[in-house]
Amino acid sequence: METFAFAPACELPVWPFTPPPELASTKIVRHPIVIVGAGPSGLTLACDLAQRGVHAVLLDEDDTVGVRGASSRGICYAQKSLEIFERLGICERIAAKGITWSFGRTFSGTQEVYNFNLQADSVSKQPPFINLQQFYVEWFLVERILELGLTDMRWKSRVTRVEPLSDGVRIKIETPAGRYTIEADRLIDATGANSPIRTQLGIETHSSRSTDRWCISDVRFQKPLPAERWTWVDAPFNEGRGVWQHLMADGVWRIDYQMPEDCDTARISQPEVAGARLREQLGPDVAFEFVWIGPYGYRDHLLDSFRHGHVFFIGDAAHVVSPFGARGGNSGIQDAANLGWKLALVAQGQAGDALLDSYDAERQPAAKQNLQVTSRSARFLAPRSPAEHTLRRAVVALAARHPFARALVNTGRMSVANDYPAAPQLPEGGRSVQNLPLRWADGRETTLMQLLAEGTQCIGLWSAPARTEARAAMDATVSLPLRLLAIGGDSGLPTLQADEKLTRHLGIHDAGGFVLIRPDAYRAATLPHATPDAMAAALRTALAHDTAP
Amino acid sequence: MITEPRIPDPDGFYAALLAAHEGLSEAQSADLNARLVLLLANQCGDQAVLLACIRAATEDPTTAPAP
Repeated sequence: METFAFAPACELPVWPFTPPPELASTKIVRHPIVIVGAGPSGLTLACDLAQRGVHAVLLDEDDTVGVRGASSRGICYAQKSLEIFERLGICERIAAKGITWSFGRTFSGTQEVYNFNLQADSVSKQPPFINLQQFYVEWFLVERILELGLTDMRWKSRVTRVEPLSDGVRIKIETPAGRYTIEADRLIDATGANSPIRTQLGIETHSSRSTDRWCISDVRFQKPLPAERWTWVDAPFNEGRGVWQHLMADGVWRIDYQMPEDCDTARISQPEVAGARLREQLGPDVAFEFVWIGPYGYRDHLLDSFRHGHVFFIGDAAHVVSPFGARGGNSGIQDAANLGWKLALVAQGQAGDALLDSYDAERQPAAKQNLQVTSRSARFLAPRSPAEHTLRRAVVALAARHPFARALVNTGRMSVANDYPAAPQLPEGGRSVQNLPLRWADGRETTLMQLLAEGTQCIGLWSAPARTEARAAMDATVSLPLRLLAIGGDSGLPTLQADEKLTRHLGIHDAGGFVLIRPDAYRAATLPHATPDAMAAALRTALAHDTAP
Repeated sequence: MITEPRIPDPDGFYAALLAAHEGLSEAQSADLNARLVLLLANQCGDQAVLLACIRAATEDPTTAPAP
């Protein structure tokens, strides 16, 4: 029997536990913002706040990144996440380390039945996707947070109890040097799928567990395959079951194999068993070494509300979906970016508590949509009855010959920046604005994310306003967090060059048209013929100034 | 959903449908019907009509009860 080798373990960074001042004192210190959990969502939030100049405490029970060693976990980072990372200053690092891709192919047996090119709909500076092992993303976020120097990072600090108070939350923490208690105006739970905070507060999760079983193999080999997302509905080298194949950093491939529902999960993850599977896939002449192997059974849950008083749930603590389409980690990163600017404006006294309610009003429906989309993919991939098998066979058979049926082949609908439903703070609903390349009137290049990286304000893009109007608009919005920019014209405002791609993406058709973009790059309002008063009113609406807390 | 007759030669259509199933096993017939449903659905191409047709098919009172 062939034996299979493991690569040497990846060296993950370790950060020191520093005893916090509270340990030596009996006085309970109150912090405005405490984040629990240094995974992708908690780290993104801490980094987003720090980038905005807002201090936070970040507690994590570990002192490194990743879990279960250097397992790859979430590997596909979607354009919206990459745009957020660009704003936070780590996207270049991620792009340099990771694998950029936009093309996906789906196979049935040995035949390609469907493909897609996500680049076709993109006007962003960021690519549709970059693949990177999750621990690298966490690693880069931690280093950026340390560089920004505003976050109180507390490693080896496990939250043992939270007590909701009338005006905040009391938090009990256990460390290697003893226990202490702090209070927070607001606590953000980013502790993941098994959140002990959520459990302790007794919040219903509506969870369900799939019977579908998978085995993940992170493996390094040399075989000239394109950097594309390849999926098989029924792979000949996996006994007619599903397979995912993706390249990540360091020449490591992530391959997910669908297993029989009644499989022995320990056995399928043994190197000899996983190795035999891979040998069949790669052929006899390709040398490979494993980096990590593990079984995987997915589940889902969704909280009814992501806000409970002074406690906010983000990422997997709030929602878990099946992995097809990369809507888990990306959704958590977007939760963080949705909440970050709102917490910042509240901390800076420029918005009230009502703005924080909009986090739940926007991200809960997004998670609900992701749950629906991923559940449909999961059901296509694991038919539940003979009738479902029959229908899927029909789809796959027709897809090989007829384009219409290719749209029904569902091996995952890739993560998008979800639209937000119409709400008091978003009368037209919200839609993400991509990271458009821009050019100042004098020819200097910039991007939307560069404009949004400075401070916390909305951006108003106004097509060729008149000078008097521009001056009046500056006066009407002087006390509000707005950076007003013109597109073309001679208004005296800082001016971007008019560009057809830009105005089409923004939905501005005529001179005088105005688009209000929030700090999370969501379009809050479109005014076809803006007036200074209407502009100020749209801004107040977007910041929930008029909503009673 | 249109429920008034529209098929120009109903008997001819039905005969062709039966002919297509001739000699097939139960499983092969099920596969054929599934392919046919999908092809016809795309001819219709109207989401509301498709959902109405699914509802109408589900409501058939002669369907045998689930085992």
